[in-house]
Amino acid sequence: MQLVLGFFADIGGMALFSLEVVRTWLRTFGQNGSLIVEQIALVAYRSLVTILFSGFFVGAILVIQFHLMLSKYDAVTLLGGLNTSATIREVGPLIISFLLAGKVGAYTAAELGTMRVTEQIDAIRCLGRDPVQYLIVPRFIAIVLCSLLLLVFGVLVGVAGSMVVAVELYNMNFLQYMESIPRFTGIWTIIAGVFKSLVYGLIVAAVSTYKGYFASGGAQGVGRAVTECAVYTNLLIVFANSFTSYFLENVQQFVNNTFGGF
Amino acid sequence: MKKQLFYFVTAVHDVFFIFGKTLLTCLKGPHRAKEIFHHINQIGIGSLPVILLSTAFAGFVITGEIAFHMDEALHTVEMIPGFSAQFILREIGVVIPALLMVSKAGAANTAEVGSMKVTEQIDALRLLQIDPIEYLVYPRFVASIVSLACLTLISIFVTLSCATAIAVIRYHFTWLEYVNSLLVFVTPRDLISALLKGLVFGAVIPVISCFYGFRCTGGAEGVGSATTNSVVTSTILIILLDFVLTFAFSVLLY
Amino acid sequence: MAISFKNVAKAFGQKKVLDGVSFSVETGEVLFILGKSGMGKSVTLKTTIGLMKPDRGEIYVHGEAVHTASEHTLAQVRKKCGMVFQHPALLDSLTIFENVAFGLETKNRERVIECLKLVHLDESILNRKPQEISYGMQKRVSLARTLAPGPQILLFDEPTTGLDPITTNAVNELIAELSDRLNVTSVVVSHDMGCALRIADRILVLDQGNILALDTVDRIKSSSEPLIQDFLREAL
Repeated sequence: MQLVLGFFADIGGMALFSLEVVRTWLRTFGQNGSLIVEQIALVAYRSLVTILFSGFFVGAILVIQFHLMLSKYDAVTLLGGLNTSATIREVGPLIISFLLAGKVGAYTAAELGTMRVTEQIDAIRCLGRDPVQYLIVPRFIAIVLCSLLLLVFGVLVGVAGSMVVAVELYNMNFLQYMESIPRFTGIWTIIAGVFKSLVYGLIVAAVSTYKGYFASGGAQGVGRAVTECAVYTNLLIVFANSFTSYFLENVQQFVNNTFGGF
Repeated sequence: MKKQLFYFVTAVHDVFFIFGKTLLTCLKGPHRAKEIFHHINQIGIGSLPVILLSTAFAGFVITGEIAFHMDEALHTVEMIPGFSAQFILREIGVVIPALLMVSKAGAANTAEVGSMKVTEQIDALRLLQIDPIEYLVYPRFVASIVSLACLTLISIFVTLSCATAIAVIRYHFTWLEYVNSLLVFVTPRDLISALLKGLVFGAVIPVISCFYGFRCTGGAEGVGSATTNSVVTSTILIILLDFVLTFAFSVLLY
Repeated sequence: MAISFKNVAKAFGQKKVLDGVSFSVETGEVLFILGKSGMGKSVTLKTTIGLMKPDRGEIYVHGEAVHTASEHTLAQVRKKCGMVFQHPALLDSLTIFENVAFGLETKNRERVIECLKLVHLDESILNRKPQEISYGMQKRVSLARTLAPGPQILLFDEPTTGLDPITTNAVNELIAELSDRLNVTSVVVSHDMGCALRIADRILVLDQGNILALDTVDRIKSSSEPLIQDFLREAL
């Protein structure tokens, strides 16, 4: 019971904190430009290689799985389309964002948590600056933007990775592989992928800044903040995965019914 | 560049050293069952709620996704049970608990061992003639392997149940129909491969997380960055090994 | 009157750290707060500039009510106050220059060097990062950063813990000098009865969330309280 209550209290805290961050951002709009750019560069630099590397292998794993299933039905011609669609819509953003939770989320939580327990955050307040504006806003914005970009890149590399595996390991013709892609992927696949990436990025940003900023209790406190950050991020991403799936499905239906589709 | 290469080589050496020494301890003991149960309780039972919740949600999505793709590809949703069961057993039901375990148990391991390192408790162990690998890594190693194997089975069951529930509610299968067509597709081989993957991932997590814990230097920041590195490295290794194992099984087992 | 506490209480869970504490600090005075660990010394400082809210009671800094103030008024109050933390609390990602200039409206190089001189540091470290200098130097840079905006009230949370005896003396003399020359009010939290006896105008002893004694140095010296006796014996 305590666990469940604590979980909901944390979710509420994160929502309120994110609101405060956005409000601070809008209030001081245009004053944080250089800090935000600096953070974006840092986040992107730190995680680009890792994300691309793992994106490649996520695509590769999927293509093996789909090849196994499809070869039973002599439907291997559909491999390209099925695989690309599944990578973009579902598995790519999900698995890569798990990595992002560790790489970006845990790092941010550790950094902010250390600043909290060594009183750096109090020092900023004492010197008349707002720590939310100075520390949190640039990180929050940078994480959301970079997560979106990194996930999109990661998924694209995943698509490329599955192509490489299909062509190299299963001797598929490259053109044959490409041929079935348009049948499965369209504007909605891309909308789904981008929308999910955006939501996951928001989750990583909200959880990591909240957990880090409110860390307490010395070195152990930082450790706890990092661990909780990683767990919460992954858990919330899995939740968000199913909610966004249903949400997008309904939006797609609504748009198709109202405007006759694309 | 040279320095980085050196770092990488020593890191690989250390990881294999820890792994080898742990295996050796598995053979000759001391086994210290009490410690192992304590860690099974912490790692396994502790991760259970998180893994149950998230695999349930994964199950809710997967039926919808498979249905969408089947509808596009074969213009029928008849194949939902078979395809979703295979996908869950071979991939989703195995990787999601492993990745959650990394963030839950792996991160906690590194934080714990790391703060022991920076507070010089590990040096104190050495002075008392206690081998830190035997004392710290071995119980976690055994506990993690046992826990993740069990959790993989549990999460496959949960994901499959939720996927079935959605299939029954949204795509109007009956329970019997679903289970019947599932049994046609799923073979014991799938279960064996899932279990083997679970065992391997279960072995990766404690070795990597303790390795980063032992390497920890320099106070709170050190522990924080070690934890981050541990989570990232374990995640990458699991994705990489998943690729290797998936390919190996696809050649050997099917 | 620079700071006044009226019946201030603060508890963490069951543990009462401050239990109805009232005192005031005159402008230009050096007040030392002594007490065992966990007796609410740091909490007293942090509530003074609104880093923590008291559970009840009133706190005034230069007549401004801190306990009810909005973040905006608090920012005004904090401009007049400087706080030196237990940790150096320098921002890791900034250089020493950027750290000291952090609270300044214009990043004035002369002012930064002047403040570093006050704490016996020179400009050779300006472009280094906090990790690259020793702990004692970090603490002194932290003090310079606090002095840079020219605060009228200084709050010190164990300023000399972890410093060598020579630097400790220098820091203590600096506190006394600031009070004499610039009429700066200082509140110093410390374990060190020795420095307290040398530079304090008055000494406040906290125990179990209450004020055990608040008096001039001479009268503290002749106190018969066992805890104060213990502290005095430590100093000799």
